[in-house]
Amino acid sequence: MSRKTWDKALFYAFAAFFVATIGFPFFWQVLNSFKLEKDIFSLTWFPDAYTLANYRKAFQSRPLMEYMGNSIAVSVFATLASMALGSMAAYALARTRIRGTGLILIVVLSVSLLPPVVIVNPIYALIRGMGLLNTRTGLVIVNTLFTLTLTIWFLVPYMHSIPAELEEAAEIDGAGPWICYSRIIMPLVAPGVFTVGILAFIQVWNEYLFALVMNPVRVKLVTVGLKMYESDNYIPWGTIMAASTVIVVPLIAMVLALQKRIISGLTSGGLKE
Amino acid sequence: MFGLFAVYPVVRTLYLSFFEYRLQFGETMTFVGLKHYVNMLTNERFWNAFGFTMAFTALTVGFEVLLGLAFAQAMNKDYPGRGLLRVVVLIPWAIPTIVSGFMWKFMVHDQYGVINQMLRSVGLIRDYVPWLSRDIGAKAILILADIWKTAPYVSLMVLAGLQGIPRSLLEAADIDGAGPIVRYFRITLPLLKPVLATAVLFRLIQSFKVYTVIVALTNGGPGNATESLTLYTLRTYFDAGNYGYGSALASFTMIVTCGIAVCFLDVIRDKVEAGRKGRAR
Repeated sequence: MSRKTWDKALFYAFAAFFVATIGFPFFWQVLNSFKLEKDIFSLTWFPDAYTLANYRKAFQSRPLMEYMGNSIAVSVFATLASMALGSMAAYALARTRIRGTGLILIVVLSVSLLPPVVIVNPIYALIRGMGLLNTRTGLVIVNTLFTLTLTIWFLVPYMHSIPAELEEAAEIDGAGPWICYSRIIMPLVAPGVFTVGILAFIQVWNEYLFALVMNPVRVKLVTVGLKMYESDNYIPWGTIMAASTVIVVPLIAMVLALQKRIISGLTSGGLKE
Repeated sequence: MFGLFAVYPVVRTLYLSFFEYRLQFGETMTFVGLKHYVNMLTNERFWNAFGFTMAFTALTVGFEVLLGLAFAQAMNKDYPGRGLLRVVVLIPWAIPTIVSGFMWKFMVHDQYGVINQMLRSVGLIRDYVPWLSRDIGAKAILILADIWKTAPYVSLMVLAGLQGIPRSLLEAADIDGAGPIVRYFRITLPLLKPVLATAVLFRLIQSFKVYTVIVALTNGGPGNATESLTLYTLRTYFDAGNYGYGSALASFTMIVTCGIAVCFLDVIRDKVEAGRKGRAR
């Protein structure tokens, strides 16, 4: 066989292994979410009968609808806030020539690298002081902060890539900074803002630590809610797999629909998980 | 707002680490100097958490970089089907850590875990193994779960780096008689260095704050074998209500993180410069 054929064979062998190992845990989760408990326990891979009972139990035994609603509200609002504030901050950082932008960028980068545990206690106290513990607003504020570092970092180079002549021309025509930002910059950076918005949304949806600490009793997000299905001596695996599938499906659908943008976003941003 | 939510908490945590401040004593704070740090450094539970976190970080990042390099090499080939690879790669990245933790917990279950079934059917084990109730087993599964979740992401970053390498360079080396292995180590790897350095920096820092996957899989057990620094700190804060000592632990985490960042100062300088001047990253 020629080198080319070997190369091709190797590629497909590797690709098959790769897809199998990466995809299997997800496949196994979805498959088991449709199985009867006896088939889960007996480790029957493809049983004769499938069921939706696990999904019914996932919604009935815990308020999964409520968890989803909370997660959607918090993720959407935090993402929108982060997109708006982040693009304005990035615009200001890219366009001002004053000293100190470097320092601001270092602070932003440091915050994005900072382990959440370092600031969790003071933030908890702050949010409690504002009376926002156990509210969606509190979670929106915290998640906006954490995704803001991502949006700023992602958008600053984007803003730089827009020629300053465009705004100079507009300024001559009498446009102020706000008009420049909303009429000229925004339409041009909209694709970038959208891409980083997807990344921010996924980050908020998946966040666990603050979702747990700041809302011990009332507003549970999906990530915290999932842990609620477990009890000390019994883990309802079928129900957990069904709830997990419900939580993950919106994300997977989004990823599949927007994969090109996500890949380009991840590879150029490269800041967060 | 940024200052309030980002800089103040850091200063506050450092400040509190020098005080005795416990929930059960109300709002009273007494200055105790370095007492918490001395206690920390003589505490076996701290060393256990620190040691496990370090080992976890080193092993996960090490394997993720190796696998990331291999995956990226495959994804960079021009054969039909590579589109599928790029989609599959995004699945673990998009799945919440807590969900992937439960997936793995289910797969390694001691009675109905599919991994036990597979291993026994190929004859590697004779009886089902309760992986998560054994010290080494629990650690290994956590590391495996983290690699599964993050190696694909590293591979995407490497892939972006690979695509930036001019094909003509590799072709020229081929004409000069360099074999694929020589080409890889002499041309590809050196040119990937900036991308790899960035990936390693972010991964080291992310891995060092490991928490969520542990909550899903082992909750720190068996005993305290898989208690990470973050988990230990959060328990000190919110279970024991010991804010002073917890702040010392959090400050220590920050010091280590800064240490990691200092090792990669070039990467950080490049990033800040790029942000300031608009040079392409």
